[in-house]
Amino acid sequence: MAKRGFRGLSRRTLLKGALAAAAVPATARIAVSAETRKVTEVNGVKTAADMAKAEAEGAMLFYTHDSDPAGAAIVEAFSKDFPKIKASYLRAQNGALYAKLLAERGAGRYAVDVVQFSEVSTAIDFQKKGGYEHYESPERAAYPANALGTPAGYFFFSGIDFVGIVYNSEKVTGADVPKNWKDLLKPRFRNVISCKQSTSGMQFVQWFELKKLYGDDYWKEFGKLRPHGFDSRAQLFERLAKGEEQATILGEWAGYQLVKDRGAPVVFVAPEDGLPATPLATGVVSKPAHPEAARLFLDWLMSPKGQTLYQTNKFLYYPSLRKDAAPMPGGMKLADYKLIFPKSMDEYEKAHPAYVKEWNAMIGL
Amino acid sequence: MECDDRPLVPVAATIEKRPGAPAQKLVGAAVALLAAAFVLYPVYYLFQAAFDVGDPNVRPPEAYGLDNFALLPNYSEIMLNTLGVAVAATVMALVFGFVIAWILTRTNVPMRAALEQLMAVPYYVTPLLGALAWALLGSPESGFINQLWRAAGAKEALFDVTGPIGIAWVMALFEGSVAFVMISAVMKSMDPSLEEASQVIGASRLRTMIRITLPLVAPGVLGAAIYVFAEMLGSFSAALVLGSPNRFYVITTAIYQLVSQYPPRLPLAAAMGVSLFAVMFAMIFLYRRITAGRSYVTVSGKAFRPRVMDVGTLRWVLFAVCAVYLIMSVFLPMATLLFASVQRLATVFPKPSNLTLEHYTTALSLNAVRSAMGNSLLLGFLTATIGIVLTGLLAWIIQRSRLPGRNVLEYIVMFPQAVPRLVFAFGMMWAWLVFPLPVYGTLWILLIAYLTVFLPLGVRTISGVLVQLDKSLEECGEVCGASWFYRMRTITMPLLRPGLIAAWLLIFVASVRELGASILLMGPNSKVLTPAIVEAFFSSSSELTAAMALIQTVVVGAVMLVFLTVSRRAARHGA
Repeated sequence: MAKRGFRGLSRRTLLKGALAAAAVPATARIAVSAETRKVTEVNGVKTAADMAKAEAEGAMLFYTHDSDPAGAAIVEAFSKDFPKIKASYLRAQNGALYAKLLAERGAGRYAVDVVQFSEVSTAIDFQKKGGYEHYESPERAAYPANALGTPAGYFFFSGIDFVGIVYNSEKVTGADVPKNWKDLLKPRFRNVISCKQSTSGMQFVQWFELKKLYGDDYWKEFGKLRPHGFDSRAQLFERLAKGEEQATILGEWAGYQLVKDRGAPVVFVAPEDGLPATPLATGVVSKPAHPEAARLFLDWLMSPKGQTLYQTNKFLYYPSLRKDAAPMPGGMKLADYKLIFPKSMDEYEKAHPAYVKEWNAMIGL
Repeated sequence: MECDDRPLVPVAATIEKRPGAPAQKLVGAAVALLAAAFVLYPVYYLFQAAFDVGDPNVRPPEAYGLDNFALLPNYSEIMLNTLGVAVAATVMALVFGFVIAWILTRTNVPMRAALEQLMAVPYYVTPLLGALAWALLGSPESGFINQLWRAAGAKEALFDVTGPIGIAWVMALFEGSVAFVMISAVMKSMDPSLEEASQVIGASRLRTMIRITLPLVAPGVLGAAIYVFAEMLGSFSAALVLGSPNRFYVITTAIYQLVSQYPPRLPLAAAMGVSLFAVMFAMIFLYRRITAGRSYVTVSGKAFRPRVMDVGTLRWVLFAVCAVYLIMSVFLPMATLLFASVQRLATVFPKPSNLTLEHYTTALSLNAVRSAMGNSLLLGFLTATIGIVLTGLLAWIIQRSRLPGRNVLEYIVMFPQAVPRLVFAFGMMWAWLVFPLPVYGTLWILLIAYLTVFLPLGVRTISGVLVQLDKSLEECGEVCGASWFYRMRTITMPLLRPGLIAAWLLIFVASVRELGASILLMGPNSKVLTPAIVEAFFSSSSELTAAMALIQTVVVGAVMLVFLTVSRRAARHGA
């Protein structure tokens, strides 16, 4: 991994203001606060769920945008800690998952208990629709306030996805090695640089943030390189590892780590101007089929146990926002990076159609 | 069955008076209504979405209009890309399918039985696998073949499989086996005396094939062409894997974008999907125009035994043709994937430290995968078994009955094939979510979905054989007093056996490898395997994907082997 010779801002500062504009009127205030419930600690998890009822419910269902191995690892780890509760999961891409969830709720079917979205804007929209139950987990004290949504208690940021530059060290050497985002605009990267397609929420965040940093011209110049856009993260990184492309502008840390583990000659660069980042948003849905088990699951996910799994499982590799989180694989902490989040969610959401149009045109779609 | 001495009367006049006629009408009407309901119920929701111009997340729609259709011209380049690739791939697949079907059913090529078994293998594998294998073989920098080529001293890549030609090639290789199964089912039911007569009067083998065999199997070939073309239009995996690196996109990759992004643009995707109905209906119209008023009967009251032509030493050349196809579509891709699946990061010259079995350990350790395999096989068995009864009856209604509306029924059953599965799945989800019976989220909804989306496959396969059967065979039974059920059981069904077996196998495999509908409709306890395999490609690794897909292929192959063995034994017993 390339040397990152700077210290980033603190986690709290990084998130400060990031979602200030995301204040959403709570339309479904079925408030379940830890203050009004008995808090217990079970298997290292602080929970306000009624354990007896949770075990009597005996099951819970988790909807996630994440991969099958990731979903399986999460529910298996939870069920290992709470063997009387059979946790199961269902996964789909973020957009399809949300469409499915809304269609189910529109038809009066409430099977799911907890949902995780890859984009915070999806979570905010769901919150606006009254989709979440209000539950203030006893584990919330371990998080910065802005990692708990606005207002707090509807969803929390269960992990962070962030991007730097990743290049193939056998193909890109010497003065060609990129150090900052603008280095990727060199003509030598024409036809050998990759990115994600417009379906990627992370790609949207990067487009939005680099446009803020460098102006509209940045992406126009980037488009001249005829970048190759992929939907599959694995395909993007494997092609990079094998030299089909020589660098990627969307070097997701989790994807980089996965391919690096497999011995690929790839290097992660943290540009000093900042690394675009987006949180994953997880919350208990309103009218959950298994309310107590759902609360327990959320507490577990927020606890050191759940967050350690998120940081270290190779199908997840999401850095944790917990204040007491251990370093990530490789030894770095999240605070070592200068992460940049969209400051105005309103502006961010409104920019989406322009992003899709520009991005699709850029990658030839 | 014995004929009595009653005076002969015109057959048409007797039909209405037969005791079997009401039962025939009743069963026919029930099957037609069921199929129409399966198809039209979700199609209604698709059209509703296509005209939805309100908030796409609100159902039922708040406002209707044509805005979504007005946006379609923006995708004209992608539509042209799609048509170009689909036509090229269909032509190639039909050539592969027809030539090999002819070789394996009409000539004395060596190892026919083994070759025939192997020909179905490309169809067993999920389409992603073929694309993945060829990406590993033919990518310009890291493709195994190109690496070997460079190791031999070359500076440039030997070939580049990414891009439109690569997509069409891979699609044709793997869909060629569908064309083969459909066309060979027709050829097996063909009386060889027609070809023999041609040769007796001096026609060459090639001329006989073109002038006699091809016209006689025209309905089967055209039926296969329609089905394969629709498959190509809806093909996703090859375009995804091989198109993206070359900035080449087709309609399914565009639709995938629309349904995957946040917020999903389902109304535009639905408009795009229903627009493809027009293409499909034009194809069926053409098919009906070409086949109307002509007889393709090759199985009549005159007995025949399927015989093959002795082609002399040419048999080894024909064997080589089959072998090359099988190497390209089965052995090379499978070997490549096997080789890749035991490496941490696949390369043609792996170091010992790069070798691993961890992808198999991961695949087999996933509880979801283990239960998903069982669900996939159970669904495949049920869909194929119920499906051949349903589609057999539908084919009979369309081709043979006098039921009012039978022509419309042919168009209706093709609806699911006309729309990319990713879009049709949304129609089914919306439809079955509000259905009063609690099928949503269970295996039942998947069974209903599979039966719906594979209606075209079964109907096209069985129809191809059915039109070869002389109507007089059934009418003879009718005149002799046999009931409709009795005639179906003792005359039609035995003659249809090759078509029914082919349809069962095709539907079984298609069900096991189904992706588009399964992603949306499976529940936490009714997962199936193919979505997990495709997902592994998206977020894990090609090597894990290869391991999972190879496990699926081996299991499906074993099940197919058991089925074929049992059905052959049953046939021998029956004979």
